[in-house]
Amino acid sequence: MKTISRTITLSILLATFVLVTAFAGEDVDRTKRPVGKPAPKVALPEIQKATLKNGLKVLLVEHHELPTVAFNLVIQAGSDHDPVTQPGIASVTADLLDEGTKNRDALQISEGIESIGASFSTNSSLDGSSVTLSTLTKHVDKALDIFADVVTNPTFPEKDFERLRKTRVAALTQQRDQPTAIANNAFAYLLYGPNHPYGNNPSGTEASFSAMTTAELKKFYSTYYRPNNATLLVVGDVKLSTITSKLETMLADWKQGEVPAFSLPEPKPADKMRVYLVDKPGAPQSEVRIGYPALARNTPDFFAVNEMNQMLGGQFSSRINLNLREKHGYTYGARSGFRFNKGVGPFTAQGGIVTEKSDSALREFLNEINLMRDKGMADDELGFVKKGMLGNFALSFETPSQIAGALQNIVLYGLPEDYFNNYLQNVDAVTLDDVNRVAMQYLDASKMVMVVVGDLSKIKESIVAQNFGEVILCDIDGKPLPYLESPKK
Amino acid sequence: MKRYFIPLVVGLAVALPTFGQINIKFEQYQLPNGLTVLLHEDHSAPVAAVVVMYHVGSKNEKVKRTGFAHLFEHMMFQGSANVADEEHFKLLQEVGANINGSTSEDVTNYFEIVPSNYIELALYLESDRMGFLLPAMTQEKLDNQRDVVKNERRQRVDNVPYGTADEKIAKAIYTDTHPYSWPVIGYMEDLTAAKMDDVQDFFRLYYAPNNAVLSIAGDFNPAEVKQLIEKYFGSMPRGKEIERPHPSPASMSENKVETFEDKVQLPRLYITWHSPANYTREDAALTVLADILSSGKTSRLYKSLVYEKQIAQTAFAFAASSEIAGQFQIATTAKPGYNLTEIKTAIDVIMADVLKNGVTEKEIENALTAIEAQTVNRAATVFGKANTLANYYCQTGDPNNINKQLDLYKGMTPQEVLAAAQKYLTQKYMTLSIVPLGKPELAAQKGE
Repeated sequence: MKTISRTITLSILLATFVLVTAFAGEDVDRTKRPVGKPAPKVALPEIQKATLKNGLKVLLVEHHELPTVAFNLVIQAGSDHDPVTQPGIASVTADLLDEGTKNRDALQISEGIESIGASFSTNSSLDGSSVTLSTLTKHVDKALDIFADVVTNPTFPEKDFERLRKTRVAALTQQRDQPTAIANNAFAYLLYGPNHPYGNNPSGTEASFSAMTTAELKKFYSTYYRPNNATLLVVGDVKLSTITSKLETMLADWKQGEVPAFSLPEPKPADKMRVYLVDKPGAPQSEVRIGYPALARNTPDFFAVNEMNQMLGGQFSSRINLNLREKHGYTYGARSGFRFNKGVGPFTAQGGIVTEKSDSALREFLNEINLMRDKGMADDELGFVKKGMLGNFALSFETPSQIAGALQNIVLYGLPEDYFNNYLQNVDAVTLDDVNRVAMQYLDASKMVMVVVGDLSKIKESIVAQNFGEVILCDIDGKPLPYLESPKK
Repeated sequence: MKRYFIPLVVGLAVALPTFGQINIKFEQYQLPNGLTVLLHEDHSAPVAAVVVMYHVGSKNEKVKRTGFAHLFEHMMFQGSANVADEEHFKLLQEVGANINGSTSEDVTNYFEIVPSNYIELALYLESDRMGFLLPAMTQEKLDNQRDVVKNERRQRVDNVPYGTADEKIAKAIYTDTHPYSWPVIGYMEDLTAAKMDDVQDFFRLYYAPNNAVLSIAGDFNPAEVKQLIEKYFGSMPRGKEIERPHPSPASMSENKVETFEDKVQLPRLYITWHSPANYTREDAALTVLADILSSGKTSRLYKSLVYEKQIAQTAFAFAASSEIAGQFQIATTAKPGYNLTEIKTAIDVIMADVLKNGVTEKEIENALTAIEAQTVNRAATVFGKANTLANYYCQTGDPNNINKQLDLYKGMTPQEVLAAAQKYLTQKYMTLSIVPLGKPELAAQKGE
């Protein structure tokens, strides 16, 4: 215990830094790093299961810390089910669910939810659609009543569809201002093309909106929103038996249906690297995307690929971020990732790059990708990544929403229910050979697509000079501009 | 298990709302060097959040040196006397921690959410940079982080549609010397001007223990943690007393109308009034009003402009209040084919009705229910609790206000909401139109 008085502290020690260091050094050896105590045991959520009479599977995790309960109805059809001629249909179907039912109009639904302070949403992603509800436990009956009504009785009113259509078209117009949205849309299109659902804008296009009808939305709904094509996740301050008896009554009219078999086309990777440029005059940054179609969620290499990517560009201390941000100061942040979808999702390396350094940044991205592929990882790098993932697992089940997210992954991708029980073991089992093999296998820059959205008057010439591959000018949807002369080199 | 966190007990009668109680138990003490410590035990998950909040933000900056508090925040991640460059991140990522820092007008916070067996590592790293940052600072690091921050500004402000609206508004409604008149991220030329001397002066004055609070929530043994805090923070010297800015209350002598042409497709209108500082009853009343105006499909602005008339793409109202002042703002994006004069006229009609007839009890009840639910959700994580405690300490002097936050709203009446609206929203205001390039005719025209 130090006994130095405050007067001394103030008059002498405050003044110079050297003295402060010396003083503190008296009893704390700061060169010694604290070591962690033994790892705490992570209590995994205990999943309870039930199946309703109509075939709807229910997974429930009790969580009594707060007097709240969250529901998530997962529908196994997302934008991946959009016909290529009708992008946006899954998304608009989800959006219209709470715009009117046989019993309530849009305002009544909204007012009902607000009056109990609940939150309610309907969404679609690439891999599925969902209806979510979060409410105080004491209001669960009233909240579930609205939830069930929206799920089973939507009417897709014509006037609400018209309103939504206008909003959607305006939102698409707004995307033209957003370099990140332009880069994402163009990148998806250039990787997957017009004949794969992953290549289309999941929010829809102006053309698809002008052709879309409520009859088509009703058909999408009645085909895919079926209890045998869905799972209900419940996390919170409730008991399974209480909830299932309520649901049996509320969802009694929701019937099974025949859900057509579904498969996605295999995307074709490019034969060689090409650079696609989208002009955004005056942009102070270039939005960069580099990658290609890579892997689906069911790959046996899931853990190895994740660990390899963590080091490449998956975390703050990754090679890509340390190089482009900390070493070169080209960006606020650069990263890479594999998006594991139900079908083959993309590998993407990306960042917003200061305009003047666009060409150098592209070069550094490629250097890091190639270095990982050619030389792999060091043993201590893999150890670093693994330790981080193992430690982070302890932080993964703190809140009901984290637990619900974990359950959603299990349901959406058909993972085994003991997935999280075996998670640590699977992380740990990956070897250096594994990560180096997957780096070689899945990081082939010679077939990647580069998309750069930026001020072409400032960046085009220097990017062409880098000789990455053929350089092609595109519109903001990623469609090549044949009527402009593309620079060749 | 849960000895210290008693969850919200919520009671909401239909006629007369009786409001929820929050009871987050915590221990507060101060080291002789002035470092305030807040401890809240929660053993529900093997997780702990360590928050160090310094009572310094962009409002402590000087004119021509804007953005410095935030640039300095970046420097705090660049190593310290015993922590090498880039090591701060690596040591924490290696144990799976989630970490970050943030800077606002009023405070700067740093946090580590760690598996509970690594609390000591977080304390070690936080203390090393609180006590021993300067020996690790170099011109090279400053230059690099200056570039990173400039990129952050490009990413978040300059390359984003409508991204510069906030700073245009702040510049217009405050005098040039008011500390809320400049953006937290700072202006490019001021970032360029920042020097190593500034780093040193700023650190010595503001990063002293007496200007900080260490707030820990989660799964720990208090006796053990107190010992570690003494070990790592106890020997640091107290810093000078800090003179805090107390500008005279901001006001506008006339309505201000500005138009800015930008790379946007749809015009957007911002109407901004001065409003009270945070954690006041009047601020609460205006927060309730904002909810009534734009939260949910039945809210007044949304229902009228977006749902019924369909002239607006979005409509938001909010009371953005900070330590020494606040702003009440309505922001609306027009649908294609509509101009901001039409939007402004529609908003004026709704606001005139509010100012004349007030709001209903039912509307207030819905708003309070929503605010209550948001408050419960903030207490769902150890980070939410540690950070909220620290924030209340820095901004109100009493962390126990975490348990009184709903008291500000309790028993809110239509009369109170009306009075606050009449007091603040009848004052002079600023109208900013951001319109597509070459289309100034879409801007809101001067009215009245």
